[in-house]
Amino acid sequence: MDLNLNGDELNTCVQCGLCLAHCPTYRVSGDESMSPRGRIHLMREVQLNNAPVTHEVLRSFETCVQCRGCEPACPSAVPYGHLMETTRETLADAGLMTPWWQRLAMRPLAHTKLLGAGSVMVALAQRGRLVPKRLGLSVDVPFTQEPLRASGTDVIMFTGCVMDAWQRDVHQAGQRVLEAAGFGVTPSGDLAPCCGALHAHAGLADDTRTYATNMMRTLSRGAIADASIIVDSAGCSAQMKDYGHLLGTEAARRFSSRVFDISEFLALHLDRLPEGSQLAGTVAIQDPCHLRHVQRVHEATRTVLGRYIPNLVELDDDGLCCGAGGAYSVMEAQLSGQIRDRKVAVISAKDPDLVASANPGCSMHLGAVGVPTIHPMELVDRALHG
Amino acid sequence: MSMLEKARRRLGDRGARAEPATDDDRLLSELRLALAPDRVRFDGAERSLHAKDASVFRGGVAGPSCFPVNTEEVQAIMRIAAAHGRGVVPRGAGTGLAGGAIPLGAPIVVALTKMNRILSVDTDSRVAWVEPGVINLDLTRHLTPMGFHFAPDPSSQQVCTIGGNLANNAGGPHCLAYGVTNAHIMAMEVVLADGDVAMLGGLDPEPAGLDLRGVFVGSEGTLGIATKIAVRITKNRPAVRTLLLSFDSVSDAANTVSGIIAAGIVPAALEVMDHRITVAVENYVGAGYPRDAAAVLLAEVDGLDDGVGIDADRIAEIGRQHGATDVRTANDDNERALLWKGRKTAFGAIAQIAPDYYLHDTVVPRSELANVLEKVYAIADNYDLKVMNVFHAGDGNLHPLLLFDSREPGVLERVHAAGKEIVEASLDAGGVLSGEHGIGVEKQAYMDRLFSDDDLDHQDRLRRAFDPGCRANPGKVIPMGHSCADIQALRRVPTGVWG
Repeated sequence: MDLNLNGDELNTCVQCGLCLAHCPTYRVSGDESMSPRGRIHLMREVQLNNAPVTHEVLRSFETCVQCRGCEPACPSAVPYGHLMETTRETLADAGLMTPWWQRLAMRPLAHTKLLGAGSVMVALAQRGRLVPKRLGLSVDVPFTQEPLRASGTDVIMFTGCVMDAWQRDVHQAGQRVLEAAGFGVTPSGDLAPCCGALHAHAGLADDTRTYATNMMRTLSRGAIADASIIVDSAGCSAQMKDYGHLLGTEAARRFSSRVFDISEFLALHLDRLPEGSQLAGTVAIQDPCHLRHVQRVHEATRTVLGRYIPNLVELDDDGLCCGAGGAYSVMEAQLSGQIRDRKVAVISAKDPDLVASANPGCSMHLGAVGVPTIHPMELVDRALHG
Repeated sequence: MSMLEKARRRLGDRGARAEPATDDDRLLSELRLALAPDRVRFDGAERSLHAKDASVFRGGVAGPSCFPVNTEEVQAIMRIAAAHGRGVVPRGAGTGLAGGAIPLGAPIVVALTKMNRILSVDTDSRVAWVEPGVINLDLTRHLTPMGFHFAPDPSSQQVCTIGGNLANNAGGPHCLAYGVTNAHIMAMEVVLADGDVAMLGGLDPEPAGLDLRGVFVGSEGTLGIATKIAVRITKNRPAVRTLLLSFDSVSDAANTVSGIIAAGIVPAALEVMDHRITVAVENYVGAGYPRDAAAVLLAEVDGLDDGVGIDADRIAEIGRQHGATDVRTANDDNERALLWKGRKTAFGAIAQIAPDYYLHDTVVPRSELANVLEKVYAIADNYDLKVMNVFHAGDGNLHPLLLFDSREPGVLERVHAAGKEIVEASLDAGGVLSGEHGIGVEKQAYMDRLFSDDDLDHQDRLRRAFDPGCRANPGKVIPMGHSCADIQALRRVPTGVWG
């Protein structure tokens, strides 16, 4: 069947295999069908040779975490992420992937009130010990939260969906840091309820396009029309930087160029960050894949944290994924757990006091097995405000 | 059942029908019983994936794929294969460039990727025991805190396995000074084709008896499967210096290499890349490779600080005498790592220029490098093909890459013909067929050109001493027309299939 893949993009893979070691699912399975080279081969077989889309072929595509660790490893710059997203979109449209209940589960993300109500129920269930442990929900979902208040229009702070409902304290820390650097902040709140990253990964790119179009409209009006958009969730910033590709319009590309990950933005304005205090303890940096492999701005985390933390340590695994992958940790719990086991071993070898990760999914996933994970902005906030 | 499940089941049925009916059911159930159901696969997707490696050879047909986790399971696979008269093909990361892991005649594919433990490291005796599926670079990473590394460093070292290195007697840039894989394998436990286990070699400096270890290393899986490997580990040198020399012609670079060796210097590595590949590599790594040089020479010296400085200065001087237009020294470890990353990802960077490549791996005497290279460019021109050269200059190991787009009608014949002429030119200059990639299935046709019938007959008999039924990696290395290739009636394989 036609997967709607661009023939030239599909052809840029010479099957050299250098990506294999950078793929978390290949690393834990040793199986070619769970490697980027293998998945590209199967895409070619399906699209060019009309090979049947069997259960095994679908499993090969479904088991991809979409961490895109293979992309920086590829000397021929195969756009693997886009190939996989298009493949999933085609298969989801054909009814072969992402069943109705998964689609339904993603609906509330773009509706803050619905999400809020759902979160209260999760919070209740959590207190009643009704949330199964294997779901890996390591944060205590709050009943009520302090609202975020605007302090100016220099920058927009993108607050998003689940993170705003469950980890607003990270937003608050990020906002305080931005304000300490002298930026007036407008939280996006209801203006931009969801970036659509989870939808795009599940092959529901039409939903993502709708969210993108709405967000571009609401965040490009009035006093904030040209303000930089600061994002403290690496998965979201990566998605919003991809709107240009997703929509293919000049306006979308312009919008994408306004988007910055919060560490990336602060590294560009390092001189405006106050001195603060030095934090004791060893902090290991666990780069979210979408910060390191997709946006490739992970050095910024080190630049910013290095100012306040003398003992930063690197992990020895070339930024291999932790297995969180948005909804992946729930959908593919077993594989996701195996990938995490590997990561935990790499972290343990360094014996850090804390692990810094700039993505809510990663910190929840690692937190679920007791790894003390914290957002880099919470550390900077601590250094600045005690 | 959900709609999705139903749709899948429908497709699954269709998929199953699309596969040819086989008489493999009994074989499969025996394998599944011996291993575990989820570690034996025979679906269309897995079979099509395991029919290939990183070479351009097409025409492999895979039987069941097994993922053993210990020696006993490999033994069981071998015994079941023997009982069913089936061949067995070992597979590591599938990065081979000569088709060594391509299954011919639907043999059982034994993927050793799950046997990937580092079993022990003894820094006093400088030996590590590893399983065959350990990734080359993982071993070096493991050894780094102890101040050691595993010296053979094929370009694919970030993903290729020690078992694959052993099977192909792999080389790498730093094998110039340290020797190829054979010099770094001390002993190994192997499973022979009948399922018996043997220990070859030993940890003593001079083990008694015939050097069967030496026979097994580089045998490309045709003698059995290594399941535990004792590798020599090498102490890291205190000082390293890396130089990048630019030239206006490939000949100047090649002559500089001869000059350096003639001056009595043995650098850790001497690598040449021509203009086209240098640009592709620089596009990827941004290491500061010159985009306008006709060729670059990457030279590395290591040892004690003082000696390294003297050698580096002499190399720079010899380079300038041979027309080097620029000589640069890497300032720090990061710059050095980036330069090497460029060199080691060269093959993969090719898709920037063309979607397919075919390469040879001939070795010529160093003094003939410039001459043979000139011929390589002329041959490619003649066939209207693009060629790139990136090679281990220090030991005369050429890697001429012919670039093409397999969608272009008739191009494969031209590539094949040009490749043949390149091999002829190398052999005429006193060279050999393969430096490190192995013979596999791609270079078989040229074996007659290098070896007499007597030579091949002896190779064949040596092989049969290990594997009388010729079931270990059937159809490889020894060309058709010699007994092992004949006995294994590879009837399901269209021989010499291309494209």
